[in-house]
Amino acid sequence: MRPRFRMTIGADRGEVGGVTAAFARFADAHAVPDAIRRSICVVLDELLHNAVAYGFAGRAGGEVSVDAELRSDRLCVTLTDDGQPFDPLGMAAPDTALPVEARRIGGLGIHLVRQMMDDVSYRRREGRNVVTLEKRLPGGTTAGPSEEDA
Amino acid sequence: MNITTRMQRDVTVVALAGNLDSNTSPQAQQALDGILANGGKKMVVDFTALGYISSAGLRVLLATAKRLTGAGGALRLFGLNETVREVFDISGFSAILSVFATEAEALRGL
Repeated sequence: MRPRFRMTIGADRGEVGGVTAAFARFADAHAVPDAIRRSICVVLDELLHNAVAYGFAGRAGGEVSVDAELRSDRLCVTLTDDGQPFDPLGMAAPDTALPVEARRIGGLGIHLVRQMMDDVSYRRREGRNVVTLEKRLPGGTTAGPSEEDA
Repeated sequence: MNITTRMQRDVTVVALAGNLDSNTSPQAQQALDGILANGGKKMVVDFTALGYISSAGLRVLLATAKRLTGAGGALRLFGLNETVREVFDISGFSAILSVFATEAEALRGL
């Protein structure tokens, strides 16, 4: 069995911090390198906050799920929500060369997601947004005995 | 997140411990706003115990930097770990904020 992390929250900004904290505990329990754990936490904060803050405008309920699987050479994370269609990869990258007075933050979170992960993809499936992320682990097998993967 | 402040001459040194993300950034913004409201114009932020920062945290830093710069003050940072440094590099914040390796370097000439 590959180590797996699953968590589902409602459309509530206050619950995002609980997911990143729980993921950090999962990562520590499976000896994921600090830098990888932190990168995933940044990305989870960006995408979950986006989903709950903007994806469910004008409606009650809503659900966002995180499913992470630790493989021998990479971490694969899938985020699923039933909010309005939103393709994070459809956004233009922000101008990160402007001076401090002229800087705006819009789009920066998604820019971080794209740059910090090795692979990001989006699809709309059965009325849900599905974002999949991959982050390679340095040196391959830090994830425990590889024979468990067989 | 734990936020502690102390004065070093006329400079407010703010230490952030934990993570600066969508969950904690309102608390950080409130603390930094409090310093600004009390007339603090020179601020050094200690990132030594900061795990990661997301765009919500960058927003707090940018707002604070703009206000301090507008008031003739300054914002300096030190002690960034590898992840925070990566976020700064990707976002372009490395070029628009003053980042130093140590507290002594951040305080020098301020």
